[in-house]
Amino acid sequence: MSNQSYSETNESADLHVTGEAVYVDDIPVGGQLLTGRVVISPYAHAKIVSFDLRDARRIPGVHAVLAHADIPGDNQMGPVVKDEPCLAADEVTFCGQAVFLIAAETEQQCREAERLIQVAYEPLDAILDIETAMSNDSLMGSHRRIERGDVEAAFAASDHIIEGELRTGAQEHWYLETQACLCVPGERDEITAYSSTQHPSETQALIAGVLGIRRNSVVVEVRRMGGGFGGKETQANHTACWTALLCRATRRPVKIRLFRDDDMIMTGKRHRFLTRYKAGFTGNGILEAVRIELNADGGAATDLSFAILERAMLHADNSYYIANFSVTGAIWKTNLPPNTAMRGFGGPQGTAAIETVVDRVARFLRKDPAEIRSRNFYGTISRNTTHYGQTVENNRLPEMYNQLIRSSDYRERRIAVDEFNATHEFYKKGLALTPVKFGISFTTSFLNQAGALVNIYTDGTILVNHGGTEMGQGLHSKIRHIAAREFGVSLKRVKVSATNTSKVPNTSATAASTGSDLNGMAVRNAAATLKSRIAETIAEVFSEENRSSPTFASHIVFEDESIIDGDHPERRIAFADAMPIMQHRQVSLSATGYYRTPDIGWDREKGRGKPFHYYAFGMAVSEVLLDLLTGRHKLLRTDILHDTGTSINPAIDIGQVEGGFIQGVGWCTTEEIKWDENGRLMTHSPDTYKIPTVGDIPQDFRVSLLRTDPNPGTIHGSKAVGEPPFMLSLSVWLAIKDAVSAVAGHELEPEFSLPATYEVILLSIEKLKAKTLKEASL
Amino acid sequence: MASTISFLLDGRTTTVEFGHSSIYSPTTTVLNYLRSLPEHKGVKEGCGQGDCGACTVVLAEAGPAGRLLYRSVDSCLVFLPMLHRKQLITVENLRHPNGDLHPVQRALVDLHGSQCGFCTPGIVMSLFALYKNHPRPDRTTIEDAFAGNLCRCTGYQPIIAAAQRACAEGNADQFNKGEEATLALLNSIPRDSLRLESAETMYYRPAALSEALALKANHPAGIVVTGGTDIALRVTKNHDVLPEVIDLSALDEMKLIAEDAFSISIGAGAPLNDVMPRIHDVFPSLHRMLSVFGSQQIRNMATFGGNLGTASPIGDALPVLVALGTTVELSSITGSRRVPMQHYFTGYRTTVRRPDEIVTAVILPKPASNLITRSYKISKRRELDISTVSGGFSLRLNERREVESIVLAFGGMADRVKRAETVENFLAGRKWNRETVDEASSLIERECNPISDARASAEMRRIAARNLLLKFWCETEGLEADVESVVQ
Repeated sequence: MSNQSYSETNESADLHVTGEAVYVDDIPVGGQLLTGRVVISPYAHAKIVSFDLRDARRIPGVHAVLAHADIPGDNQMGPVVKDEPCLAADEVTFCGQAVFLIAAETEQQCREAERLIQVAYEPLDAILDIETAMSNDSLMGSHRRIERGDVEAAFAASDHIIEGELRTGAQEHWYLETQACLCVPGERDEITAYSSTQHPSETQALIAGVLGIRRNSVVVEVRRMGGGFGGKETQANHTACWTALLCRATRRPVKIRLFRDDDMIMTGKRHRFLTRYKAGFTGNGILEAVRIELNADGGAATDLSFAILERAMLHADNSYYIANFSVTGAIWKTNLPPNTAMRGFGGPQGTAAIETVVDRVARFLRKDPAEIRSRNFYGTISRNTTHYGQTVENNRLPEMYNQLIRSSDYRERRIAVDEFNATHEFYKKGLALTPVKFGISFTTSFLNQAGALVNIYTDGTILVNHGGTEMGQGLHSKIRHIAAREFGVSLKRVKVSATNTSKVPNTSATAASTGSDLNGMAVRNAAATLKSRIAETIAEVFSEENRSSPTFASHIVFEDESIIDGDHPERRIAFADAMPIMQHRQVSLSATGYYRTPDIGWDREKGRGKPFHYYAFGMAVSEVLLDLLTGRHKLLRTDILHDTGTSINPAIDIGQVEGGFIQGVGWCTTEEIKWDENGRLMTHSPDTYKIPTVGDIPQDFRVSLLRTDPNPGTIHGSKAVGEPPFMLSLSVWLAIKDAVSAVAGHELEPEFSLPATYEVILLSIEKLKAKTLKEASL
Repeated sequence: MASTISFLLDGRTTTVEFGHSSIYSPTTTVLNYLRSLPEHKGVKEGCGQGDCGACTVVLAEAGPAGRLLYRSVDSCLVFLPMLHRKQLITVENLRHPNGDLHPVQRALVDLHGSQCGFCTPGIVMSLFALYKNHPRPDRTTIEDAFAGNLCRCTGYQPIIAAAQRACAEGNADQFNKGEEATLALLNSIPRDSLRLESAETMYYRPAALSEALALKANHPAGIVVTGGTDIALRVTKNHDVLPEVIDLSALDEMKLIAEDAFSISIGAGAPLNDVMPRIHDVFPSLHRMLSVFGSQQIRNMATFGGNLGTASPIGDALPVLVALGTTVELSSITGSRRVPMQHYFTGYRTTVRRPDEIVTAVILPKPASNLITRSYKISKRRELDISTVSGGFSLRLNERREVESIVLAFGGMADRVKRAETVENFLAGRKWNRETVDEASSLIERECNPISDARASAEMRRIAARNLLLKFWCETEGLEADVESVVQ
């Protein structure tokens, strides 16, 4: 198990720290390059009455000004439902929607041209929030429902009932590298797009679609992204298609890199949700019946909203067995940018709902919330099926709870927090434990597939191509490790290529935390093909040299940079020396690999099945100190225990846990998206939209990976890690709520929403104080 | 009067010409300049407004005692002429000539300090500045060094660890060895006044104050730049053309910090990071505010002159300066005058400054020993955020603990920095106790009419302002002082 005991550094780290790593905007291009610019709608909803592009086209240096009618192919971007034009035609449906495209020699010329575009808009009524959408019946798709048991009967039989409403906010991805694409024209209608995309195959398909050409004329290549977080799963396609249209129109290389504010204004966010819940429970805090109604703000087009809502519904149980459970969901169509994938993909919103319920149950019963949580955890033998019928196998929750309660000194600190709160009027502390159980697989089951192309060259070096993209999650580092391990060679021998649709076609997005699960398996399968070819050939070679006792191909092993007869270890050849032999004996050193996740299936209509290959588990305890007068909190300590199976690279996995958690802390605390009454984004720059800085992380941050058995049926026994830790940030949100609740001695339920900004905190405290005063005066 | 600028880059003196055939304008940012060079694509644009630090570079200049001073800056906020007579150090320059990674790079690699890598060049340069300036830094110093660098991937923990490791062994690197040669090269660049003309911009960078005042008299509409952290946004975000710019950043006279028995005079062009150590002991409340003013990169450029020139109602430093009884020195070719700061502002971003005048200094009277002053900043995020509400308060109590004098200056509560005079008058002569303070705080709401905006609602601002008065009282009483430092 030596492979698990240390962590290789990121395969690009030396390039990162020297500035040599190449992102889209850094690719050298000759003097022909044009700059592209997107002209966007200033209205949330309006009719385009008329426009005139003639003056703009006359600016010297301007090579193209395009409108929807200039699109040679389909004016369509929708990845699932065809409801999103590439350029608005007769109507704009959100502020920031693309209407025209400009290509010019300089950015300044683009801006001059933009100023000369004349458009007449006729503003129409806009729907800017979920309630308005509901009252206008502005539904996207249909209502969804997943149910088990008889919720109404169980409510009637419950000791206690609580009901309420929760709002969770939108979140901007804030990848450091904004959306970017460079397109270079080729022969005939060929085009190569260097795109910062999580989904090169879809980017390829959509470029072909808008250009009206075949997919075999389009190559999409991704070296790396400067962050993705879901924001480049579908919405990188837009920038790529706009760039491709300008490239086609000008027959010159064109690059679009969105300015930060434009990126924030134009692209969709994490869906904000309005959730209504009702829960019935026993005097011991066991949940008997829960009803959760999830309402998501889908924005102006479908994008991935159906799948996101589905994942929210499939995670509304989080880690808890609920015998009678009804989850309903709806996507509401509004005049805001189409909301999209973001780390957790609905999971955080569903999880926040049930965590609110459990937190309230504990406060209602005046019990410790961690205790109530553990009582409701899925069991290991019984009480272990979800509301959609999947059995929770290899459930780690109970053992993780016991470990973390001890290692975090939870009980002692609970007492210390209560003592602190009893002696402080202006500061309060809060403490919370939250678990996560996250289902791994695309819930659209057919997407769970991946491909790889592995080439070995005659100098013994290996080039691995696979369908996954690198966005900082360390996928290429893990893949390189997997390939090296499969071939028994050192990392130096293996290089992972840029992701390229001409090498590995028809891939799924790098998303749903599945990157290394799927692509790692595909690489392994390609390696297996190559190894069997090599083994046969080398067995022949060995046998020719040892006619009395032939070498069996099936007994050949690959280790220590060598190819060895396992029965006769003295028969060995260096890996590099074997490859020329392969060429001489006319055996191919290139193989594809393919993988699909077995044994999953999900009946979307019935809401039943096994959508997930397995679950990843995690747990966190967070403690905050809250200044009641300023609403500022300090995250004093967080302890995380996370389950990554047998980690392929513990340092990378811990990096994902810490980074995902902190990104979640941003969603839970300071990241607040606000639109004005005209549907214009108010928080459109880092000046007003605040993601966590170095000062916002826990002062004392202890992250460890669960020591556990290999995960069955996955690459080298590992588990996916990209998204699950995000939800552990709810421990911070609930710790803040715990501190606020201490203002009224935990006697009253604080008004609370997510994110818990300083404003939410201060207003909540004001209301608690007012209520306390009122009760005192009665 | 020179029409070109010279600075050191990649070990060589580089000269940039402006004029009609140049692709550079005097308001071209250092970021855009670097990214136009094929060998300097390492510097990244993450936001173009000094809020993310991906474009961080280090500027070295001749400092006191014949040593180089290293400062991290956001290259997106620095106009090219500000490089004159400086060394520009980028992420590409850190490798040792033998090819080895610099210790700060090595530590980030070994401790997994990069994920997507896009913020990393900026992180590297902030860490390099820390390495040069703070051997063996504590956690607070490390956090301060990175407060201006956003990373969306790592959660910062491995970056902190890398900083601890890299800075543990002193700061001797190849830059130390080359210091004398670098200084010699820098000193060989003449200390000229610059007159830089491009198609759309006349850019003056005078080398003497008298020259600057003459320029301002002749070009009253000229846009005055000291640090440039605010004016640069007009170029990078609004894409404005600045027709006439008077850049005061070369004026050593405006960077002086002078102290006598009664006051400290701070040149309006002194970078705030130079001000901080000089006022730390005498004006801890001002120091506290400056420690959360922008970021290292911002404070290495930003000045009081800029904060006063912009005159924003949420200018972080302004309320506490009012509370400290600061006087503003305004100069023109006809002479200087001093205006009490509370009379300096006349409305939303308007002041008593005449078009021919330049803010040249602020003068802070040394406080009597019984003067209690505090500053507070309420912002959505602690680091690198502008005030939603800020307060600068000063108080003198008599022996009976009655209010002898009090100044309550608020930012973010009106169209300008505002003293809550009704509340001050109410409190004057009264007992400084909880009852009085509770009563007084309810008056704040009547006096201020804040707005709702992207940062917060008016209601939240009113609650916050009220709470700050209570907080001030708590601190004067020493209540719950055990946790004060933790949360601040």
